Amino acid sequence: MANSKDSIEVKRVEAAFNPVQDQDLDIYGEELRKYTIVDVDVHVDDTLQNMLPYMDGHFGKRLEAVLTADFMGEPHNSLRNMIAHVSWLGAAYDKHPRAKLATKEDLLDRMEYGIIDYSILFPSELLPIGYLPDPKWAASLASAYNEYMVDAYSNVAGVKIAIVVSPKSVEHAVIEIEKYASNSDVVTVSIPDVGVNPPLGDKKYWPIYEAAEACNLPVSLHGIEALIHDNYPLRVAHFPTLMQVHSMGFPFTSMLQVMSVVCEGVPVRYPNLKFCVMEAGITWVPFIMHRLDTAYRQYRTELPALEAQPSEYISKWYWGTHELEKLPKKGDLSKLLDLYQGHDTTMWASDWPHLERDLIAGLMYYDLDDEVRAKILGKNAIEFYGITT
Amino acid sequence: MKMNKAKRKVAVAPVDEFPPGERVEIKVGKISIAVFNVKGEYFAIFGICPHQSAPLSRGRLQGTVVCNEHTNWEKEWAHDGEVLVCPGHAMEFDLRTGKAFGYGMKLRTYDVIVEDDWVTVIL
Repeated sequence: MANSKDSIEVKRVEAAFNPVQDQDLDIYGEELRKYTIVDVDVHVDDTLQNMLPYMDGHFGKRLEAVLTADFMGEPHNSLRNMIAHVSWLGAAYDKHPRAKLATKEDLLDRMEYGIIDYSILFPSELLPIGYLPDPKWAASLASAYNEYMVDAYSNVAGVKIAIVVSPKSVEHAVIEIEKYASNSDVVTVSIPDVGVNPPLGDKKYWPIYEAAEACNLPVSLHGIEALIHDNYPLRVAHFPTLMQVHSMGFPFTSMLQVMSVVCEGVPVRYPNLKFCVMEAGITWVPFIMHRLDTAYRQYRTELPALEAQPSEYISKWYWGTHELEKLPKKGDLSKLLDLYQGHDTTMWASDWPHLERDLIAGLMYYDLDDEVRAKILGKNAIEFYGITT
Repeated sequence: MKMNKAKRKVAVAPVDEFPPGERVEIKVGKISIAVFNVKGEYFAIFGICPHQSAPLSRGRLQGTVVCNEHTNWEKEWAHDGEVLVCPGHAMEFDLRTGKAFGYGMKLRTYDVIVEDDWVTVIL
């Protein structure tokens, strides 16, 4: 309630045509300065024309053809738009502040502001490569992406890179992992997990896990919200609106992949390999842990490789918070963390600059012990990615 | 006993410096209020989004889609120019009432008058 002693400030303002960012908020004050903040899910401009200089031969020609094709006027002939967003184009009436692609300068500006200490860069445009039907085309795009990102973003203070591999091209994935293992700015192997069939626990993918474990690189699963395909976990059927596919598509896919990796015994075979899941929220994590444990009692003989209940393996996974669900009470996040033992494994993620990006305010809303907040904002990520501060 | 508190007035801008399409943000202590001139009509609404605290004074003014018994459960475009869209994550608020579309909640709105040729918000 305002009282007569309050100061009054009147400021002429204009409508924002870019989404509001953390630095636009004045609610934090000095509060955040005491934390080391790692944003574990950051996206920069990786549209396909950036890949062109890195693609030779017939795949280079193929990419040229992609780049000159006309896809409904969307800019940059986006791979995502080609096979994903066109399904729901315009359905939100452009309500969302339009998310711009973040250039390197945008990223550096954001880092320079001083709230975010480290950014982990994940692919955007390359996220559908788990789905592309031609494994060699997917592998070629992945190689070009990795080269481009390492050229553009190595040796940038506070910036770390997730290389991407195509699960359709296991041999190529192993080559990529080994190629970048010694680059200290490459901190994780990202597997785009949507559209991957069979799911990621299957033995055909194990060489990827073997290489990642040997190279001491954790694996990050990152989904995408939409693909034009009918079969689960490819998602258009049963999802008539972007809201539905966006909110539930990510966790549905993640549940499938976590279940598959754990139940197929990957954590037993590769005990030193760390996994995390990006962009699927966290409220479903206790659900899958306890649901699988309940079934495990009856069906354990189907999973003879496991040496413990599924929840014991899942409790060692790490989780990017985006899109952090807003629970009704300020104490609810603490209860949720208890349910999945997530104090040491939950990592703040924004998904910047995408339009659904989380602001730190979403986490600060919750009542948490200061030490737990510090872990989620940065310490857990430093541990997971092996960042030397 | 009912306290009869005098209402506080905040002079925002001279009328001729606050034409249609313009907006200002006022801060009274820790309270932020967004004030708009929409086609000659003034609106003032609580200025911080309850979701993740984005400043509502920076929100675009649009219409929205409604679907209810009055539209015979068909989607219709409505409230054109009077829906404040949060610049954070696009929550929508009815400028006239403060009501959040699709939520059982409402932001505080404030009366705006013109007094001595100044646009004035009454707290």
